[in-house]
Amino acid sequence: MKLLLKFDFTNVCNRLLEEKLKAHHVNYRQTAFGEITLLETVSEEQMKAFQNDINFYGIEILEDPKNIVVQKIKDVIVDMVFNEKDVNVKTSVYLAEQLDQSYSYLSNLFSEVTYTSIENFIIIQKIEYTKLLLTKEELSLTEIAYKLNYSSVAHLSKQFKNTTGITPSAFQRIISKRKENKEN
Amino acid sequence: MNSDYINIALADDDEDDRLFFTDAFEELKIKSKVSTFEDGIELMEFLENSNNTHPDLLFLDLNMPKKSGLECLVEIKTNDRFKNMVIAIYSTSSSEMDIENTFVQGANIYIKKPNNFETLKKVLSEVVTTNWQYHTNGLNKENFLLRL
Amino acid sequence: MNLTPNNYLKAAFGIGLFIILCIGGFTYKHIQSLSESSKTVKSTYSVSSELAKILSNLKQAESGHRGFLLTSDSIFLDPYFSGVTQLKENLGRLDTLVPENTDQRKNLKKLKSDIEKRFSIFKRSFGLVDDKLILSEDLLYVLHEGKMSMDQIRKDLVNMQDLESRLMAESQVKNEKAMDLTPLMFFGILILTLILLLLAYAKMNKDLMELKDTNDDLVVFKKLTQQAEKISHSGTWIWYVEEDEFYYSDNLFNLLGVEPNSFEPSLEKFIGFVHVDDREGLGQQINKMIKEEDLPLVTFRIVQPDGTIKHLKAFGKLIENAFEEKQLIGVTVDATEEYENFKLIEQRNQELERNNKELSAFNYVTSHDLQEPLRKIQTFISRLEVKDKDNLSEAGNICVEKIKSASARMRLLIDDLLQYSRTNKTESDFSETNMNMLLESAKQELIDSIEEKEAVITSQNLPTMDVISFQIQQLFINIIGNSLKYSREGVPPKIDIKHEEVISSEVEELKDSFIKHYHKISIKDNGIGFEQTYAKKIFVLFNRLHGKTEYSGTGIGLAICKKIVDNHNGVILAEGIPNVGAKFIIYLPYLK
Repeated sequence: MKLLLKFDFTNVCNRLLEEKLKAHHVNYRQTAFGEITLLETVSEEQMKAFQNDINFYGIEILEDPKNIVVQKIKDVIVDMVFNEKDVNVKTSVYLAEQLDQSYSYLSNLFSEVTYTSIENFIIIQKIEYTKLLLTKEELSLTEIAYKLNYSSVAHLSKQFKNTTGITPSAFQRIISKRKENKEN
Repeated sequence: MNSDYINIALADDDEDDRLFFTDAFEELKIKSKVSTFEDGIELMEFLENSNNTHPDLLFLDLNMPKKSGLECLVEIKTNDRFKNMVIAIYSTSSSEMDIENTFVQGANIYIKKPNNFETLKKVLSEVVTTNWQYHTNGLNKENFLLRL
Repeated sequence: MNLTPNNYLKAAFGIGLFIILCIGGFTYKHIQSLSESSKTVKSTYSVSSELAKILSNLKQAESGHRGFLLTSDSIFLDPYFSGVTQLKENLGRLDTLVPENTDQRKNLKKLKSDIEKRFSIFKRSFGLVDDKLILSEDLLYVLHEGKMSMDQIRKDLVNMQDLESRLMAESQVKNEKAMDLTPLMFFGILILTLILLLLAYAKMNKDLMELKDTNDDLVVFKKLTQQAEKISHSGTWIWYVEEDEFYYSDNLFNLLGVEPNSFEPSLEKFIGFVHVDDREGLGQQINKMIKEEDLPLVTFRIVQPDGTIKHLKAFGKLIENAFEEKQLIGVTVDATEEYENFKLIEQRNQELERNNKELSAFNYVTSHDLQEPLRKIQTFISRLEVKDKDNLSEAGNICVEKIKSASARMRLLIDDLLQYSRTNKTESDFSETNMNMLLESAKQELIDSIEEKEAVITSQNLPTMDVISFQIQQLFINIIGNSLKYSREGVPPKIDIKHEEVISSEVEELKDSFIKHYHKISIKDNGIGFEQTYAKKIFVLFNRLHGKTEYSGTGIGLAICKKIVDNHNGVILAEGIPNVGAKFIIYLPYLK
């Protein structure tokens, strides 16, 4: 039997964090996704133990304030793309609104920390989402282009190819062949 | 962001290619540790020794004596210990069939060896960046396919 | 069933027997009637003679009586008494001779009574004589009466005699009639028998001739078979199923490498010749043959006494002969030559395949291996360019540029050559593929130049076809790429792709094809086109219609297209009108 799973990553992460914080007896309040405020001081040893524990799950504590901002930008973008947020305004305006900072500041900061641009990051996320829809939901490229507000299929197709170096059809073919191989 | 250097390995029987490769990483100033192997056997022996740290990114030439890149790829993909390793094929072949086949066999990246050193640098930098994005942004590794 | 010679014979025999029986019957009947009539004659004569004797005896008695009357001497009484006694005997015999209830019987009765009357007259006269010695009146009267009685008797006798004669004459007439017919009858029957005999003889002769002809044919046929067997290296055999006996033709013995009839044919003996490795397999087939009384084609090896190994093929068929006996008739053929030829062809094929493989491998290896050093040259030059550009003289820089462009051109050639040599046909690569998907993939591959040139590509729905998907995708890429490349300055390319099914007999280029249905895919553009005279040339390897500087290209792209279509047993054609556009037509077999 084969099960196809769909994860609500936000929920999974929040649940995990909650469990781990409780396990380490940390009194906290969640202020945003990926952001918690500690309600009392935590000893350095306790902090290290907690850090080691969550590192195992790939969760890091970001200490650099720049990193924190970058992470916030990423979170907003991922949320926007994967949850198909209906954003009426330009992404730059949306980001500035959400983070209450000027877009040029965010853009510079992002490039400085990640060596890549916010625009590029958005494309990567969109293509990632396209891959997911192509393989898991088995939507057609036309449907995906419409869903992701692309002006045309050709545009999405081109962006896909430029980002991954392969065409959407080739991608779909490769993933389905891999599945076939596994089943055999 | 991971402050550690990235662990990179290349298996290629061509000395010049190994040289271009290490030079490119040096010039790119990416915090990396590059180890090279002359053939598939040497690479697999290294990988199977549990004392050695596994590379994060493994570049495989397809056409190698003793053990080909494809054989290495299949072996690595069937071993659960290496499942986190990102595998890049680094080959001269531009056959669509070869390329698709390596992807199907589990390769994440396919690089056709460039004819220009600057292009090589650009390509390697893109690989590292994309890999890093997959690493840091929790993207689905299953869908990590990149052709350059 | 039809009348076989056998049944003919039976019918003829039956008829013959019937006729002979008839003849016997007739003859018996005739002889019987003859003997009857002779009996009648005999009895008539007896009656006549008795009647004559009666008269004479009566006369004797009368004369005795007269003498006695005259003399009264008893010596005269002797003839009288003997006459009376004989008369009684005569009458007794007549009584037996004359059949009952006939006219003659009545006559006899009358005769008897008349004779008795006469005798009573005699006795009366004797009484009269005793008294008187002379003739008395009474005696005279009695004598008179005696004479009258005697006349009556004579009359009776004549009557009887007449009747008897008449009877005899009648019987004689009847007899004569029968006797007259008899020879005719015998003759007729004789003639009939003769005809029958002749017919039977003719028939038998004819049958015999036919039999002889058939026999001759059989002999010729046997000779022919023997010759045929010799020439075709085959032998025949018969298995009489009921008796479990075998017959081998001479050449079958020869096939086994022994003299004809050098052993009593049997299954065991035959198996003895079969190659040890094939015995089990053949044994199973033979067991099946015995069970199912049929032998499908089997092949096996035998080892001749001198050690020569032969490959044989055998085939059997069950028939029933005229006596409803089952026979499995079979042919065994020496297939050694065939086997060796097959081996040889196989070997040649393998050689050819190897050569082909070597050739394409050579092609591949040369172009593939040439890539390596070329790539090195290009890479080193790129390093030189970046690192030491400033250290080089102007002339040196020009040289570097020249090397760069030459090696770039070489790269192009090698890449295309490599692709050309890679475009091979492997049956296993064929799969049912949705052509729309392949077209879509091709469009995705070409997305950059489609966007750049603002090309519009329209296509009809394409069917699913059995193709090498990579190659057909490449075909679309090359042709559409060609259209994009050779577009008219300032005119956005319009590419129209159409599909229809055609029948080969209706298409000039497919007239010689033995495949009936074809897919026709046409790709039409509005580009610079070409002169129709070049329509064939453009598919030739390294053939270019334009200068290198005008349009980049190696002249391999369309050659690859042709190779791909050839691999699919199809036909590719090009039509062009300068400055109007080009049209590529691809016919691919449609195996319904």
